[in-house]
Amino acid sequence: MSVVQAGGGGGQSSSLADVIDTILDKGLVIDAHVSVAVVGIEILTINARVVVASVDTYLRFAEAANRLDLKSQEGSGLSDMVGGAKGAIAGHAGKRAIEGAGEKILSKAGDVLEQIAGPGEEDRDRPRRRRGG
Amino acid sequence: MATDTTAPRVGMMLYGVVPSDVEPTGSAQGVGNPPADVTTVTEDDLAALVSDVPLDRPLGRPDDLTAYQRLLDGTAAVAPVLPVRFGTVLRDAEAIRQLLADQHDMIVPLLDRLEGRAEYVVRGRYIESAVIAEILDTDSDARQLREYIQGRPEQETTQQRMALGERINGAIEAMRQADTQTAVDRIGKVVEDLVVAEPTHDLDAVHLPVLVEQAHRAEFDAVLAELADGWSGRVEMRSLGPAAPYDFVDRLALARDD
Repeated sequence: MSVVQAGGGGGQSSSLADVIDTILDKGLVIDAHVSVAVVGIEILTINARVVVASVDTYLRFAEAANRLDLKSQEGSGLSDMVGGAKGAIAGHAGKRAIEGAGEKILSKAGDVLEQIAGPGEEDRDRPRRRRGG
Repeated sequence: MATDTTAPRVGMMLYGVVPSDVEPTGSAQGVGNPPADVTTVTEDDLAALVSDVPLDRPLGRPDDLTAYQRLLDGTAAVAPVLPVRFGTVLRDAEAIRQLLADQHDMIVPLLDRLEGRAEYVVRGRYIESAVIAEILDTDSDARQLREYIQGRPEQETTQQRMALGERINGAIEAMRQADTQTAVDRIGKVVEDLVVAEPTHDLDAVHLPVLVEQAHRAEFDAVLAELADGWSGRVEMRSLGPAAPYDFVDRLALARDD
């Protein structure tokens, strides 16, 4: 499976949830004590998304398990996956056999990247450098 | 402009700081509706990315957040940029210049360390049906609970459903921990720095902001592709970026004196 490459900057494949996860409470804090003239401005409350295991989560997982058609999963290499899962749950991280990714996958990921970060979008809202870095 | 001693109605939003050879393209847009043009305020060899912002209107609408991120990430793709926390507003250009002068010796080494580097956020999301099938296969108690609720009315099986869901959730947490460790071990070898971030979704497998040297970008992509390949069918992998180094500002500032 290829890696989906989302361009930065809240581009087309980056959702608002991603934006919030990425920027909220991050970045340099300009301390009002050391700096001058920081102006207070109201910031709308944006809550960070925190995963709290809840009754809803449990019931949703149970229903997903209830609906799962195990037979249809068996044909699709489930035994391989399960082998991996056993290792993971037992904490043998890193021992899962990961066979080398073929060039096919690498080029595929590259293609996706090119499509998303098409040249049309590249320069639009982006400062550019006057001289080489 | 009329002389006025009351509080100003317009301030200057500070998005980030860049070396002074960086300048916004004419169409760079910031927060506000309509979006304000982004300009720079330069002091010595530093420049601040700024835009005018009315003070009588709260900041933080989705468009504001997206504009902030788009500007900083677009900048990070071409030059080192130090992101400033969203919502930082100063009085005017003079205040920004003074800030750059005051903080010059702190900012310059950070920008030097960011030259040729950008943040990427590696995210993996479990494919629900696949991981639940994994869990049922390895956990006989979960399997029994599932058999019990199948064919019985939902209202009569709340207790069993809760127990089943809790077991599944616990197993996913264990998987997340193991898979995150696998990702850290492998990705850690090809990136300059990484942070294990909290999950933001109950099916999150991996949430790793990383700082990547552009020179090592191909190796990073290759490791990601390998991970995605190994987890094919159970984890959907995504990589967001290049982005401004939101998750590394504090770490770089702390490491400055080393």
